[in-house]
Amino acid sequence: MYKWFLAWRYLNTKLIALFGIASVMFCVAMVLVVLSVMGGFLDTIRSRSRGLHSEIVLEGGTLQGFSYYEEFGAYLAKELPDVVKLHTPVIYTYGIFRVPATTFTKPARVLGIRLKDYVRVNDFQKGLYYDRYYPGTTHLGPQALPVAGVSLFGDVRLPEDLERANDLWREGEMDPEAIASFDEQPFEKAPYPYVTPVMPSERVYSAHVGEPTYKEPLHDGVIVGCDLIHYRRSDGHFDRQIARGADVALTLMPLNPSGNPTGEPPVRLPLRYSDDSHTGIFEIDSLCVYVDFDMLQHRLAMDPQPLVSGGFTRLRTNQLLIGLWEGVDLNDACDRIRVAWRDFYASLGPEVSEADRRALGFVEVYTWEDLQRPFISAVEKEKVLVTLLFAMISSVAIVLVGCIFYMIVEKKTREIGILKAIGASGRGVTSLFIAYAGAVGVFGAVLGLILGSAFVWNINAIQDYLASWNPSLRVWSPDVYSFDRIPEIVKSADAFWVGSVAIVSSMVGSLIPAIIAGRVWPVQALRYE
Amino acid sequence: MSNPCLTATGLHKTYKMGKADIEVLRGVSLHAEPGEYLVITGASGSGKSTLLSILGALDTPDKGTVTFQGRNVFQMPSAARNAYRNGLVGFVFQFYHLFPELNVLENVLMPRMVMYGAVKWWSVRRQAKRDGAELLERVGLDHRAKHRPKELSGGERQRVAVARALINRPALLLADEPTGNLDESIGAGILSLLARLNDDGQTIVMVTHDPKVAAYAHRSLVLKEGVIHESSEPGSERPVPAPVGTEVVR
Ligand SMILES: Nc1ncnc2c1ncn2[C@@H]1O[C@H](COP(=O)(O)OP(=O)(O)O)[C@@H](O)[C@H]1O
Ligand SMILES: [Mg+2]
Repeated sequence: MYKWFLAWRYLNTKLIALFGIASVMFCVAMVLVVLSVMGGFLDTIRSRSRGLHSEIVLEGGTLQGFSYYEEFGAYLAKELPDVVKLHTPVIYTYGIFRVPATTFTKPARVLGIRLKDYVRVNDFQKGLYYDRYYPGTTHLGPQALPVAGVSLFGDVRLPEDLERANDLWREGEMDPEAIASFDEQPFEKAPYPYVTPVMPSERVYSAHVGEPTYKEPLHDGVIVGCDLIHYRRSDGHFDRQIARGADVALTLMPLNPSGNPTGEPPVRLPLRYSDDSHTGIFEIDSLCVYVDFDMLQHRLAMDPQPLVSGGFTRLRTNQLLIGLWEGVDLNDACDRIRVAWRDFYASLGPEVSEADRRALGFVEVYTWEDLQRPFISAVEKEKVLVTLLFAMISSVAIVLVGCIFYMIVEKKTREIGILKAIGASGRGVTSLFIAYAGAVGVFGAVLGLILGSAFVWNINAIQDYLASWNPSLRVWSPDVYSFDRIPEIVKSADAFWVGSVAIVSSMVGSLIPAIIAGRVWPVQALRYE
Repeated sequence: MSNPCLTATGLHKTYKMGKADIEVLRGVSLHAEPGEYLVITGASGSGKSTLLSILGALDTPDKGTVTFQGRNVFQMPSAARNAYRNGLVGFVFQFYHLFPELNVLENVLMPRMVMYGAVKWWSVRRQAKRDGAELLERVGLDHRAKHRPKELSGGERQRVAVARALINRPALLLADEPTGNLDESIGAGILSLLARLNDDGQTIVMVTHDPKVAAYAHRSLVLKEGVIHESSEPGSERPVPAPVGTEVVR
């Protein structure tokens, strides 16, 4: 009994125990923060990757793409109607993105999508900016430049269809704060009462004095990754400098079915900036632009082209995104679609050209997890590595507890002698100090978990506060970590493990001093006052 | 000499101090009968504390045996030797050696806590507290039960130490100059306390450098040059015990 009693009493009366508790506390807090942030980072990547493509992707593996995708789509609809909900082709290529108003250029990954179907297989729509506040007005077809009308009294009105769409959003919006913050954005205060594609405000449209209107010519629409077209402020918000509907241009390089340039000069596409997309993954948002599938297919010469030998090439795509019905098991569906693809490939007749056949041979069926695995597993490893690193740093706490307990044992030598003299065993005295260290560990762990959780829950506020002092203190750079917000979730399992390991470590740290205490020879300890 | 409580035979103890060996005990033999009050006197540095530590199994002799109630103390397994220190003998030190973080009652109860595991303690704690309170009353400190040792005078601290030594009802009380650190009048209070305990049947072996203290004992021995010399039997000259707690009233 004396072990528990004395351990408890020492904990209450010895100031030095507070140092032990503090060192355990800070280490626990540190490891918990690292584990939570990295874990949250991983989970965010997982959930965002999930919404990036579609459940199943038929991937061509080449830039020139593959043919017979429509035939395979029809085959799927016939063979697996209870698995496949819908499929939609995607073309991807690379190009040069240019904003004529600023002569700003950047490399771009260009995706040709059928917007209506594309948003049904993934979360793309959630990241569209104008589509949120003006639902239904984002499209990739030919469109004119919307121009807001500024009255002589300074009132600003958009063309009727945009105003109506905005009203629709206001009626449907559940969060009154979202409406308030939208209304706060500096649209009304736009300082340029004339048509200009470049305006320093957030919900920007071009404007002029007079009636709202649309300005021709018509150009195909483009959705641009938000980091590609806008400047991200250090607080994570975007400075929308470019008005909706502004002219932008893409320069592309068409390839023939065997992957060679067609010999035509590069294609220059004049487009209108219809919306911007925020998937939350920086690598995508700083690179991707989205245009209409059929338009891009045509401009890249991936539609039927006359052959010298007579006849035509076939329609080509780079990917076929396949959405599944609710409740269908992902891996099971993937296996069945893989089999379907193999069967379909085998059923193709001799009319298939050599180049088409070769490209079809590269096609693979993936789940979204397969596609993201290299990235996710890299982050998983990073999480383990960083956690391990910080755990190693935290092992300093073990040494510290060892030092503190060594000092305690030194100071308590006489009392240890008394304990021995009244019959305590060496093992009993050792376990007294281990119990004491355990109590230090428990308090340190609990306080550390509280501190760490509080830190994680407020980590973005802390960062914003630091950045308000000095922007260079913004440690979480969105370009490096893909996300603009730091994850703020503490998992109870993480907390449990970190706490338990801390308690055990604290006991391990006290082991050597505790053994020394157990070996104290009573007469030696009691000889002098 | 019927059935002695404690017997020591041929105890030798040598300390190594650099090159020189100090032979402190050179064949000490003695015995204590049940109910006896034995005092061993000797000059400072004569080896009294060394001898008493060996009798209480706080230290080991180089040679010789200590037999307690028929069992050789230094051939016991260590658990039994711990039990010997815990329950069969009680030790009172010159410098009290109380636990500064514990209050008086907790100090007294400490050997009892050492005796039991946490679970067993739960069932015996009431009895233990009663015993502790009763002992404190016997040493005249029941009103100080919640005080810390540093709030007590030296004499009071030594009374607490005596109570602690007695909590497990040891067959033998070993006292190493219990008055060595106290004024004479206060020391007399402790001595009379011990004498009364002895009157109630407590076997006591005490060592002291003060020959006057020997007057309280039934029998006194002299430790000199590492061996024991018989001395007179002063039992009849024992002074009348002073009332308990005299030094508190100062
Ligand atoms: N651990 C030790 N190491 C060396 N010498 C010791 C030790 N313990 C006691 N001594 C020596 O043994 C002698 C007897 O000491 P002690 O038993 O304390 O005498 P007493 O209690 O009679 O004053 C002294 O000379 C002392 O210096
Ligand atoms: Mg001494």
